[in-house]
Parts: sequence; C-alpha cells; structure tokens
Amino acid sequence: MTCTLGEVKNRADFIVYWGGNPAECHPRHFTKYTLMQKSKFLPRGRKDRTMILVDIRETKSGGAADIFLQIRPGKDFEVLTILRAILKGQHVNESSIAETGLTLEQMTDFIDRAKKSRFGCMFFGMGLSMTRGKHMNSAALLTLAAELNAFTKFVAMPMRGHGNVTGADVIMRWQTGFPFGITFNRGYPRYNPGEFSTVDVLVRGDTDAALILGADPGATMPQPAIDHLARIPTIVLDPKVTHTSRLARVHITTSVAGISAPGTAYRMDEIPLPLKPALKSPYPTDEEVVRRINEAVARKSHWMPADGPMTVLQH
Amino acid sequence: MIRITGGKIYDPANGINGQVRDLCIDGGKFVSSVIGGRTIDATGMIIFPGGVDVHTHVAGGSINFARAMTPEDHRRTTAFIRTQSRRSGLGGMAPTTFATGYLYAGMGWTTVNEAAVPVLSARHTHEELHDIPILDKSSLVLMANNEILLDLFEAGDFERAKDVVAWYIWAAKSYGVKAVNPGGVAAWKWGKDAKQLTDPIEGYNTITPGTIIGGLAQIIDELGLPHPMHLHCNNLGAPGNVWTTLETMKLLEGRRAHIAHLQYHAYGGDDWDTMRSASAEVAEYFNTHTNMTTDAGAVLFGDTVTITADGPWQHLLYKLTGRKWGNLDVENETGCGIVPYTYRPSNLVNSIQWAVGLELLLLINDPWRIFLSTDHPNGACFWRYPEIIQLLMSFDFRKECMTKLTPIARERITLPDIDREYTLYEIATITSAGPARALGLSQKGSLGIGADADVVIYEEEKDIAKMFSHPRYVLKGGEVVIEDGDIRATPEGREFIVKPSFNPDIENFLKPKFEDVYTMSFENYPVEMERVSHAEIRDCIDT
Repeated sequence: MTCTLGEVKNRADFIVYWGGNPAECHPRHFTKYTLMQKSKFLPRGRKDRTMILVDIRETKSGGAADIFLQIRPGKDFEVLTILRAILKGQHVNESSIAETGLTLEQMTDFIDRAKKSRFGCMFFGMGLSMTRGKHMNSAALLTLAAELNAFTKFVAMPMRGHGNVTGADVIMRWQTGFPFGITFNRGYPRYNPGEFSTVDVLVRGDTDAALILGADPGATMPQPAIDHLARIPTIVLDPKVTHTSRLARVHITTSVAGISAPGTAYRMDEIPLPLKPALKSPYPTDEEVVRRINEAVARKSHWMPADGPMTVLQH
Repeated sequence: MIRITGGKIYDPANGINGQVRDLCIDGGKFVSSVIGGRTIDATGMIIFPGGVDVHTHVAGGSINFARAMTPEDHRRTTAFIRTQSRRSGLGGMAPTTFATGYLYAGMGWTTVNEAAVPVLSARHTHEELHDIPILDKSSLVLMANNEILLDLFEAGDFERAKDVVAWYIWAAKSYGVKAVNPGGVAAWKWGKDAKQLTDPIEGYNTITPGTIIGGLAQIIDELGLPHPMHLHCNNLGAPGNVWTTLETMKLLEGRRAHIAHLQYHAYGGDDWDTMRSASAEVAEYFNTHTNMTTDAGAVLFGDTVTITADGPWQHLLYKLTGRKWGNLDVENETGCGIVPYTYRPSNLVNSIQWAVGLELLLLINDPWRIFLSTDHPNGACFWRYPEIIQLLMSFDFRKECMTKLTPIARERITLPDIDREYTLYEIATITSAGPARALGLSQKGSLGIGADADVVIYEEEKDIAKMFSHPRYVLKGGEVVIEDGDIRATPEGREFIVKPSFNPDIENFLKPKFEDVYTMSFENYPVEMERVSHAEIRDCIDT
C-alpha cells in the first residue's frame, strides 16, 4: 500500500523514516514532500506533523526528527514483529524487547501515535531492505502498514535512489513482467533474483559480453564480478569516465539525460517526469547509440528463428 | 490490395446477417472493388468485423503494479518466444505489453479502450500503449474523485468545472472520462468510503456521490465527448447494491451514460450469506431506458488479479481473502487497489457473480447496448472471451456448467430459467459493432465501404470456444496480421484522443491550486503531443 508523494505532502500527519538518511541521501525530501509543506489539511505544516526516525545510529536526519528510535543492528525484523504484536494486543516477553535496544514504552508509544494519526506513511531505506533479513524486513514493514489500515489510513514507500532506477524497473515490468533479475536465454523472460541478477551472472562468469548503461558496477560490485567484467568485452555508455569505463573494451561517451538529453525519469513513487534538456551536447544520447547498435545488428544475418511456434508452455 | 471472397459476412453495422459477399480492401479501408492484389478464399468461413473492447485494463500504473505483484503467475503462464518479427513476452493474468497485442489480435480483437488513467501518470500509460502492437487504442481519464473538481462542485461553479474537465482530458491526451466510485475514492484518502448516492463525502460539506455523477454526466454531454460518461457505480461488489445501481440509473435519466461492468452492481440480499442475483431487476429497468449502454464485466472461474481505482473495495477484498494487497493513491486525482483473486464454483458469492454476468447478457434484449467484457483482468482475463461466447451461444453448455454449482447457489440465480441462445449476428454486435458505436468510433466495428479494414475470418467449427479462440485470418488496417495461427505482421496501432474546447483562462485559475496540491510543476504536467504515438484527434459531437 503506497501513494504518490503529493498524498504525503497533503495529508500525512505521521511520518516514519526507517533505515534511511534522507537529510543526506534525498536532501529535498523533507522540504518538498514530507515535513515542511503546508496544505489544506495541515495548515501549520511542520507543526501539524510528527516524524519518527528509526536507525541503528544517529545521522543528520535525526535533527529533523521529533523522536529518534535507535535499534540494535540487525534487529529490524524483530522490532517490526513486536510492533505488529502490540498493534494486535498480544503479549510480548521482556527478553525479546530487550534484544532490540528499545523499550516497551517506546514501541507502545509508536503504535499509539500511528493509530491516532489521520494519515501515516513509512519510508524505508537500504538500512532496512539491504541488511540482515533483507526482503523479509521489507515484507514485515509493509505488513505492519497494511494492518494499520484497520485503524487509520496508512501507506509505505521505499526510498529509492540512483538516478532513474525506478524507470528501469517500470519498463522492465511492462515489457517482461518482472522488475530485474531477468534472463532471456530461453527466448522469453524468466525471473530469479539471486540467480539471474547481474551480480550473480557476473560472479558465476555466465555471460560472455556486457553492455552497461547508467550504472557503475565497477565501483559497487564484488571483486569477482568486476574481474569478470574486465575479462569479457564490456561496452559502457556513460557521459563520464567511471570505474567501469576504465576496465571496459569500449566506452561510448553519451550526453547527460535531463541536462543535454531529453527523456522521461520515473520518480520513486513511479510518477513519470519529462526531462527537458537545457544544454546541447556534441555527444549522442543513450537512446541513439542503442538504436544504432540495433540497426547494425539487424543488418547482420539473423540468429533468431524466422518462424516457429507462437507460444510455448514453460517448464 | 486484398480481396476476400466467398465468406459468410456478419456485419451488424450494415445489417448484413450471414450473406455471402466479397470484401475489397485498399489503403487500409474497405473499398467497392480492387483490381489485382492478393485474394483470400474464405469459402465456407465466417467473417466478423475486428473485435472492439469497450472496457479493459492493459496499460499504465495499476496493471504494471499488478504485474509486479504476480511473478508466480508469470512463471506458469504461456510464454511468447522472440523471433525476427515479434518480441518476447508473457501471457497470464496480467500480460506484458507485447503479449497483450498478440493475444488480443490472435483472438480477432483489433481495438481496445483502456478504461482508467490518472492524468498524473498518463505519460506512463501512453508509453505502455505504444508498446502494445497491432491494436488501435483509446483511454479514459479518471475524474470523479479529482479534488480540484470536487471543490468546484462544492462551490456550485459548474461552468468552471466544465473547463477544468476539458483541460484535464486534453492534458492527459485522453479520449473520454471515467468515473470510479464517485466521492468514495476521495473519502478513501481518509480510509472512508461513500456507498450510497446521498452519503456525505469525508472532507466535504455539501456534495454527495449523486452530485458528482449528475454534474459529470452533464459536463460530458455539454462538451460533446464522443463516448459518454463511463461510470463505475458506487457500492461495487456488495450484497444488495442493486438499489444503488437503480438509483444511479434513475439519476441519469435524460443523460447519456455507459455503465461499466454491470455484473458487479446487480446483487440482491442483505449480506454475504443471503446474497442473490438481482440481474432481472437491473435488466428490466435497463431494457426500457435507452439512454444507457453497458458492458457485462462477466466472471469466469479460475485465477485472476483484480485491479481497480476503487481503493476502499480492494481493502475490503484484502480483508476478506487475506491475500496480497497493493494500494496506490494518486495525489488529488484517484486511488488504485490490487488483489489477486480466485473465483471458485464451490463459493456461493463467486457462483452468483458467474451467473449474473451471463444473466445480464441474456436478459438485456438489445445487443447494441450491452457488450462483452470481463473488466479484464478483474472478472477473468480477456483471452478467455471465447469461453463466454460459447456460454452465450449454447444453453446445453450452460446447463452442463451449472451442474458444478452448489444447490444453494442454483436457487439464488435465474440462469437455469433462461434458454436464450445468441446468434452469430448478435455475437458480432456485442463484440464489435455495439462497442464501436458506444465509443463513437464510426470507422470501427463495420465492414462497410470506408471503414477501417479490421477483419476476422473464422473457420466454421462445432466447438464454439475453439472457433473463436483461433481465427484463420485476422486483418488489421488491411494488413494480414494473423494467418494459420501465426503472427505475420506487428504494425503499430493508433491512439484516438479528443480535444474538447475550453476557455484558455482556466489555466490561470488552475495553476495556483495545482501548485498547492501537486508535487510536479504545472508546465510539466500535460502530456506533450509527440509522446502519443500515431495520435488521431476525433471530433466532439453535438448532443
């Protein structure tokens, strides 16, 4: 259950950031969408909203919070599960609470405030979704948000970043049914994160060429994956020199989307924003390069079947 | 140039009922004669105009959310393999875009109407529509819970409201207006609903769902949109909601309206235990009031995923089923909810829903006013339409299917007493000629001279579902796209849009309000014309 950021701006009187540091990673989030804006329903803006920050350490975002809940590293799932138990009026034993770094009072206060709010929203970052428990943590938070709807209006949203990653996710979904971790090696899309995700394919050495767009895996991926990228013909499209472009066989310099190339970027709430370039660039856009590669490939003799069965049953 | 010879023509738009005639095609249209070119020998075959779906959900934020939520279905469904002429994809409950085009065209449907688009994400919807090959498309924009519009209704400022609606339609590059649970979705922003026409709406003082429905219907008639208000009534899916539906129909007397997925709005009883079919009451009223059209929203047993802008209903469905729940509220405009669902013949409510869809199709006597739909993917996936056609054309098959229902279910429905069987002519009406006329697309749903050459050719076959699942040929705009069960060409389709007139000063009124409630700049909000692929602007009409 989620919403567009305007809903938070207009209605949210109870906001939680969990495992994220928006003050430094999404610096406009507070001012444009969540805390500072006034609206018809929240005429006093910041004064009409309560913000709780949940993290394992103090960050700059703490300065903007009304309440800071410092939990022990790796205990997100436990905290979320205890919050759900409190919401349902179930007994939680003291030793379970003590392990989390929080007190029963703090957690009961969290639930009381959430239930009393008119519109609550939880934003969660990689501190929740990429630490011990991973997608189980996200699922626990989303379940808590869903269950709070029995008492009030409640939504949740991941704090996505890294440029237009949401756009890639959205388009892969409409073209293949899946957001990422897709293989086409049988001629149709199949999905298995952990097997077909880029990092897994590279670490296993399953790919014999790579085309990298809008990413710098050479800076972020584990060493065996980087080593494999250096071994195979890697082509990078990027406006700048990056860690990946240095190890690639080919680096095609492209214009910068939003500055010198037009297009669409999908915001973290999946709202498509048009990009209107302010400057001209001598370099081609990513789109043009890919189109020309496609045209060149089309001139070669075709490796794909011309005909054959229209559909297959999957195994 | 193509000549199709020897086929039996079913062309309700021109009153042709099974006569053998030749069809000539040139420049993508039907013409009176051609010399040379290809000849397709259709001797002994049945020829229909290409199918038109008046109400489906195939593109945009909500169906794409549904795709993300159902990877387990993608894994078990039919897969489309990449070849030189076609892209890969997946069928199933929420097919991918390329597969959507292949599946619709493979069944003989050539025009679809995407029935629910928030303006804020209309750019996304157009990008997806572009990636649906072969089909021509139109889309409807969600207006009945737009808070800027509701504020104007509350203030009684009708003239300005009219300009605002017209501005939004053009901003979205849309074809018409969809109204979903008027007022109820706005109330859902606070976790509430508005079920009856006279209910108050959370956050408002004077307006009710009835005010919104009446106001919007009048605006749409005065703007002269080619398709009337496309209404998803309040109180969807609830036992006893027949009274809300009948009240809504009475309110719309003297106005044009299309009532969407009527099956979900024709239930009697007081609660889930006493629920019964009320299709007879609805059909009786509908038959005598010719200002309205409708589509069935029929249900078939099996797995699907329900998606609707009706957020509060989806929250209830989540609580009833305990299955996955997706909800996406859109600032100022609308909501959206997604819940995977399985319709079972052992379930009383599901059995009644299955029967009601068919009963309405059989009890509403004018096939020009009720159209085949499943509210894809809500009642069933669109690629199951041939099963519904078989149910409509064969009383014996219906009786056989009814043996699967429980005895209690059989007492709560009227289907066992209805022996009507659809003719091919009537099937061509409810699948093509009727919906094309309701959409105001005069060049669709017709095999007459000058119409778009969208044709389906079926090999006559005793097994009705098989015949309608596997046409021998499908032509789109005069091009053979399906032949002998294979995709031969995947041309890009057009998008129909309208540009209703509005006072340009409305932007001065809208801009400050817009900046209050939205989080994107006013200048970036309207979809640019160049982002709509092969757009065709249709004229407004004199109502």
